[in-house]
Amino acid sequence: MLARWVYLAFCTAAFVFLVAPILVIVPLSFNAEPYFTFTEGMLRFDPEAYSLRWYRSIFEDGVWTRALVNSLVIGVSATLLATSLGTLAALGLANSAMPARRTVMGLLISPMITPVIIAAVGMFFFYSSLGLAQTHLGIILAHAVLGVPFVVITVTATLSGFDQNLMRAAASLGAGPLRSFWRVQLPLIAPGVASGGLFAFAASFDEVVVVLFMGGLEQRTIPRQMWAGIREQISPTILAVATFLIVFAVLVLFTVEWLRRRGGQAPSGGD
Amino acid sequence: MVSTDGTPHVEFTGVSKSYDGRNWVVRDLDLAVQKGEFLTMLGPSGSGKTTCLMMLAGFETPAAGTIHINGVPVGDLPPHKRDIGVVFQNYALFPHMTVGGNLAFPLEVRGMDPSEQQERVARTLRLVRLEGLEDRRPGQLSGGQQQRVAIARALVFDPELVLMDEPLGALDRRLREEMQYEIRRIQRTLGITVVYVTHDQQEAMVMSDRVAVFRGGAIEQVASPEVLYEEPERAFVAHFIGENNRLNGVVRTVGDGVCEVEVGDALIKAVSLGQCPPGAAATVVVRPERVNISLGEGRHSYANEFDADIEDIAFLGDHIRLRLKLCGHSGFIVKIPNVVGHGGVLEGDQIRVGWTALDCRALKPDAADDGEDPSASG
Amino acid sequence: MVDQVIAETGLEASKQQARQRRRAVGLALPLIAFVLASFVAPLGTLLVRSAYDPLVADALPETLTLLRAWDGTSALEEPVYATAARELLQAREERTLGQIATRVNRIKSGLRSVVTRSVRKLRNASGDSWRETMIGIDDAWGEPEVWLAIRSAGERFTLRHYINALDLMRQPDGSIARQPEERRIYLPLLWRTLAISLGISALCLVIGYPIAHLIAHAPPRRANLLLLLVLVPFWTSLLVRTTAWIVLLQTQGVINSLLVAIGLVADDGRIAMIYNMTGTFVAMTHVLLPFMVLPLYSVMRSIPPSHVRAAASLGATPFQAFWRVYWPQTLPGVGAGSLMVFILAIGYYITPALVGGSKGQLISNMIAYHMQTSLNWGLAAALAAILLVGIIALYVLYDRVVGIDRMRLG
Repeated sequence: MLARWVYLAFCTAAFVFLVAPILVIVPLSFNAEPYFTFTEGMLRFDPEAYSLRWYRSIFEDGVWTRALVNSLVIGVSATLLATSLGTLAALGLANSAMPARRTVMGLLISPMITPVIIAAVGMFFFYSSLGLAQTHLGIILAHAVLGVPFVVITVTATLSGFDQNLMRAAASLGAGPLRSFWRVQLPLIAPGVASGGLFAFAASFDEVVVVLFMGGLEQRTIPRQMWAGIREQISPTILAVATFLIVFAVLVLFTVEWLRRRGGQAPSGGD
Repeated sequence: MVSTDGTPHVEFTGVSKSYDGRNWVVRDLDLAVQKGEFLTMLGPSGSGKTTCLMMLAGFETPAAGTIHINGVPVGDLPPHKRDIGVVFQNYALFPHMTVGGNLAFPLEVRGMDPSEQQERVARTLRLVRLEGLEDRRPGQLSGGQQQRVAIARALVFDPELVLMDEPLGALDRRLREEMQYEIRRIQRTLGITVVYVTHDQQEAMVMSDRVAVFRGGAIEQVASPEVLYEEPERAFVAHFIGENNRLNGVVRTVGDGVCEVEVGDALIKAVSLGQCPPGAAATVVVRPERVNISLGEGRHSYANEFDADIEDIAFLGDHIRLRLKLCGHSGFIVKIPNVVGHGGVLEGDQIRVGWTALDCRALKPDAADDGEDPSASG
Repeated sequence: MVDQVIAETGLEASKQQARQRRRAVGLALPLIAFVLASFVAPLGTLLVRSAYDPLVADALPETLTLLRAWDGTSALEEPVYATAARELLQAREERTLGQIATRVNRIKSGLRSVVTRSVRKLRNASGDSWRETMIGIDDAWGEPEVWLAIRSAGERFTLRHYINALDLMRQPDGSIARQPEERRIYLPLLWRTLAISLGISALCLVIGYPIAHLIAHAPPRRANLLLLLVLVPFWTSLLVRTTAWIVLLQTQGVINSLLVAIGLVADDGRIAMIYNMTGTFVAMTHVLLPFMVLPLYSVMRSIPPSHVRAAASLGATPFQAFWRVYWPQTLPGVGAGSLMVFILAIGYYITPALVGGSKGQLISNMIAYHMQTSLNWGLAAALAAILLVGIIALYVLYDRVVGIDRMRLG
């Protein structure tokens, strides 16, 4: 019995450890004072102690909106590139005739395992020599390749649950290979493709090291701006931005879970 | 129903298939299916029947030999250009489309205009008795309903040839029997050719015009259910179709269509197919229901009459099943129809059994099946 | 006949297989090419950079030719001075002089100013003897050290960066020896990185195992809710989580204020919990914990509760039931989670950079330092290459133990 209590207390503490830091940020972002801690007024729930000033300052200050635009342009482009190439490759990898499957898989997943600092340094050298450093295109290519593993892993897992008989059925009903893919296979693996894309987008949306090394002023993204905020001019504005990012994370999480459920629900026949 | 004139609808000529270039899945197979015929490929799993079906549908390519459909070789024709309806083992209904969408799919890819599509879908759903379920998703249907949708989808574009790969395997017994009747009804109504794959011999007997018994990638015998049952040409067929007693012995004499086989210390007279010359080993097969028993001293005039010991008695409702020891063989089965009760026989009793020479066939022994219980498999 | 058919069959089968293979490869090829071009090629460039530096060799080709013929001790003749002066002035025109000076300075510190200042003065100098002019500007030009340093910086292919990165040094006689203890920087940092990563993996396992167990065996609704508590941090931006720890742990932060408020700590005795090793340790454990919990959870969920019950029915104490029956079945998850956390921890950069202060830096931060501050890119590349080799070894190990095709996300 005692053991059970210790176990539950330990788990509770662990969950607090996981979540509390994130939860602390949200109320502090409404601080009326430029401090990173709870003021006495906040603890008394004095309405005066709370304000939206840091949220206003996000929108008043053009850097954040520019950063958001950059993040979206880079994130969406990188996601489209990673998702389309990654899905095609996953289709190839799902084929049992694929030679050296394990090696290829190892290669395609390696960007996820390699420390970003190494990738960023290498990319800085290489992309500079091609004139791609400090361009959107360079960052997009870099983020796309960093997003590839997420797409490959997710879509490969989805395909392993795909009933190949459906493709045979489509062929027997008169549909050619391309039409079978568009009408039957793609709609059914779409949830997996979408959640792979979402992973890739989230990875790009949170990536700072490559941007730090390869991006110029024109490529400042939200995380890059936050990095500067934390390192240089600490202001609760970044807590307000962080709150937005938490909301974004929760939305992404629920979307991925929803997609997972949709993908899992697809029945494969009468079993 | 079955037109035997003209070219066969489907013809396999010398077809072989191997997936790895070493082991044969199908070996030098010849088979012709007539227009309007219901032909079943029956065999244990791994006997090559599904591979044959998949080659016919175009999903696999024969390594050797040709397949003709309506006299035209189809070697290079991709599956989607063959116009063959296929019902898959687990139905393979498209889960993201409604029932109507599933049925309209083949019409849509053929460029049929929407109003005609709708009309056809409705007509086909009526045929399989699923009116009004157009807007359901496959996941919302019962197993039996999904089965009907799968059949409807394979029929909706009016193929002359429909292939079915163990379509009833996932259903419970009652539903399976109902669907056997349904499929047969639809096939007769439309006059289509059906090639059907199953490992269930009872299903094959119920539905088929002819049954091709597969084994190890080759066909053992193709014939109507009656012929397969009454006149098996191979020990394997005799054993696989229905229940049979098998007694192994050596041929002593061969006469005019009849031979004598020595089994233990007894001599059994049996129909000879000319497979076993005198001195050769032979398997004598006799159906359990063709064996008569008598309790008293009254003599019958059967060609084969022996004393037997009752090892076991089982009451099965419509018949009584006796397990006998006879000619030194244990496990000889006799079925007595339940019309007169079981006549007071008891375990351990000695009785006299007899059967005619015509009910009993001497076949070449089945090399692979030697040690098996002669009454196994049903 | 049969043999022939078999041969043909094999041929047909392999033809069909070849078609399938072409199709599979064709689908994967665009991505393989993309990853090779935009990821592997940069890593290749990095490796080249770590051992190849043509700048000095390209700028001073003739000087270097003359220097290579020199025995390294005797006094140099006028032609060497004349050529060097010409090529150095040329380099100044082409604005590469600063880079040359930096490279020479790395061989022997203090030489940067000698080179730049001398060349600036050489511009206006005229004389019959370049030798005398240069020595006149700076005595150093009369010593062999400058010339040895230039000759050394002029090597196109060099292991110099690796020698530095491994805390070794080249002795005057050319042999390689370890740096004296107090001058070793990188190996201790590497060991520290490994030790911290190991510690973080262990801590993640200790915290992650019970909560994964709790989630895996809770009723479905509660399990989903608890899983959310793991997934929200998993999906939340790394920078946000790091910011959160700054907010919590800094001296004017939430925890210190709380401790002061309840009187545990005096206002002037606030605890330094961040911008040091503690900060790195706590924040990284928080960031990496989900990578431990998720694989553990998916393994534990597949263990039927009947196993532990069976053990209990056979007379095992709860501890025996856990240790002999449950724990062994969770080992794949323990391996997958620990290895993943360890691999990610070794290469971590952002969190230590933001919350580690000067004491809590890891090897990645040193790479960034040489990239951005000291601008010794060759050394940065060599350090990165060493780290990369370690990561690849761990990756191969992960593949052996867990299998990369069994990797799942979220």
